[in-house]
Amino acid sequence: MRIQNHPILCFNRGKQIKFYYNGKELIGYEGETIAAALYANGIFKFSESKKLKRPRGIFCAIGHCSSCLMTVDGVPNVRTCITPLKDGMRVESENIGVEINE
Amino acid sequence: MSKIQNLELLVVGGGPAGLSAALAAANYGIKVSLTEEREFLGGQLIKQTHRFFGSEKEYAGTRGIDILKKLIDEVNKNNNIEVLLSSRVLGIYEDNIVTILNDHKMKKYYPQSIIFATGASEKFLAFENNDLPGIFGAGAVQTLMNVYGVLPATNVLMIGSGNIGLIVCYQLLQAGVKVAAIVEAAPKIGGYSVHASKLRRLGVPILTSHTIKKAIGKEKVEGAVICELDSNWNEVKGTEQLIKCDAICLSVGLTPLVDLLKQRKVKTTYVSELGGYVPLRDENMETSIKNLFVAGDVSGIEEATAAMIEGQIAGLSVAKRIGKNSKDEIEERIEEAKNELELLRSGPVGKKIRKGLSKLGLNHGKNYNEKFSEEALDISHLMKTGVPSEENLKNKLPSEEKVFDKGPIAISECFQRFPCDPCVKSCPFNAISENGNINNIPYVDFEKCTGCGICVSKCPGLAMFVIHKNFSETTSVVIMPYEFLPRPHKGEIVKVFDREGKYLCDGKVIRILDGKFQDKTAAVSIEIPKEYYLQARNFKVEEGNHG
Repeated sequence: MRIQNHPILCFNRGKQIKFYYNGKELIGYEGETIAAALYANGIFKFSESKKLKRPRGIFCAIGHCSSCLMTVDGVPNVRTCITPLKDGMRVESENIGVEINE
Repeated sequence: MSKIQNLELLVVGGGPAGLSAALAAANYGIKVSLTEEREFLGGQLIKQTHRFFGSEKEYAGTRGIDILKKLIDEVNKNNNIEVLLSSRVLGIYEDNIVTILNDHKMKKYYPQSIIFATGASEKFLAFENNDLPGIFGAGAVQTLMNVYGVLPATNVLMIGSGNIGLIVCYQLLQAGVKVAAIVEAAPKIGGYSVHASKLRRLGVPILTSHTIKKAIGKEKVEGAVICELDSNWNEVKGTEQLIKCDAICLSVGLTPLVDLLKQRKVKTTYVSELGGYVPLRDENMETSIKNLFVAGDVSGIEEATAAMIEGQIAGLSVAKRIGKNSKDEIEERIEEAKNELELLRSGPVGKKIRKGLSKLGLNHGKNYNEKFSEEALDISHLMKTGVPSEENLKNKLPSEEKVFDKGPIAISECFQRFPCDPCVKSCPFNAISENGNINNIPYVDFEKCTGCGICVSKCPGLAMFVIHKNFSETTSVVIMPYEFLPRPHKGEIVKVFDREGKYLCDGKVIRILDGKFQDKTAAVSIEIPKEYYLQARNFKVEEGNHG
């Protein structure tokens, strides 16, 4: 869901680039954040809560709420809402399908 | 072990307060390092597409994004400012050593003085299912939509009617997103009436004394259950209703980001009027730690104009302290800035801020002019519904009907006292006046007004209209502000609405002022049947009407 025409703003999107979300190839733009690119691709669930497996998405989008953390290029707990998207980046949801033994 | 770098002034945070602080100090020869955790400057200004209120001196009438461009341009041109982007201040120690993380490297700095302009974060709200994807802070919606051009949803329920909530609703509509309703727990609208009025004209319901009970949905938001509240803020039984929406936007206030201040053991205190824990500070923005200053939302939640002036005061105070030259001149500029701040806060909407500041022991040396601290009109109906009362309108319309016979005249539908003057400053005929105080309600002198329509594009609240009652035997013309797509064409038939967003009649577009001067707030003349000249206040252009 990208805005094409806007009455006030003009979006100068960067170069189109490829990235991977849980192994699936997606298209984003250079200069946008990982979270924005995922949202533009219709992905709103970024992780699951550890214990109850409740879905998690973004809340603040300025790097303060820790709701958007994902594993990026093997590094866990990256704040995707303020991390710029890079060509070939591998983004993975956290905790999805992970069982916790008590 | 990396070397410790000495600095004259470190400014933490590249938002309106930080940028203004850096500029104010650098202009007096101070060497400034400005650090920002994002890869770009601007803070929240980067998503503010609306025109600002306040005085023209502080960029009122200019869009936030354009104010930002000016500030960044000045910062980039200033040789005394070094900008450190993608740099997170992680630590500040008792010996004032500051550690900054940049590109996975920790660097150490030893600044003579520091200004913290770290801003605020959004408050959260407790209700069932409030952790579902699709529940956003208002700022997040703005970031996705206005910075990256990505829509967060198609139909949004807004919780909170403060200025941020109202402004974000308007911006959602501009981006083509539906706003299901605005829900406000208090019995009255929190933000400026002009923002509420422009949403009502567009058909958005504002439900005061209502709250959200729970969010509905499994993987993401599919709706919300809201209910009415009584005068004790308790749920009124049997008033539950389901609102369909695919996102819930929380705009329930901000709280200062004081984490770094606490690391340095700056004294803080809880002041609810200022958003939570705020640093104790003096009138020059200096905290309990010498040479450690604050500016903007971290010193108490206000708005961007106040943040910029606080930034100036902090920056100038550092310049005076380090003192390379022109101390008297700096002192004069500090006084000017303080007076400006006082004026901004002197109206009824500044009451809360004044109360909060007085809890910190600050009243800027003098008492505020109480004359301007009460509303001039009874606006209780307006603040409950977003729609002005008959009484309010009567106050701003010509007292005699025959005034309309002279030709087109401007009508100001601004009923609330708050600091704003672009309508006054824009009028080439001096026909609009606030009687010497920026907090007064503007009145139009119908004798002087020519109905030129300049003020229609300049009013940040979109509250100026021009009415030409006797355009023809049977028709009137109303000039209305328009900030949407698609743009109308001359001769086109559009749907015309009243102040509550109710359809009135069809109208014909007869003139469009939409040039560089209007800066995307077009002034559109719509011809309508004469009987509606006092009601017609909005219009919609049908998509696909352009052939």
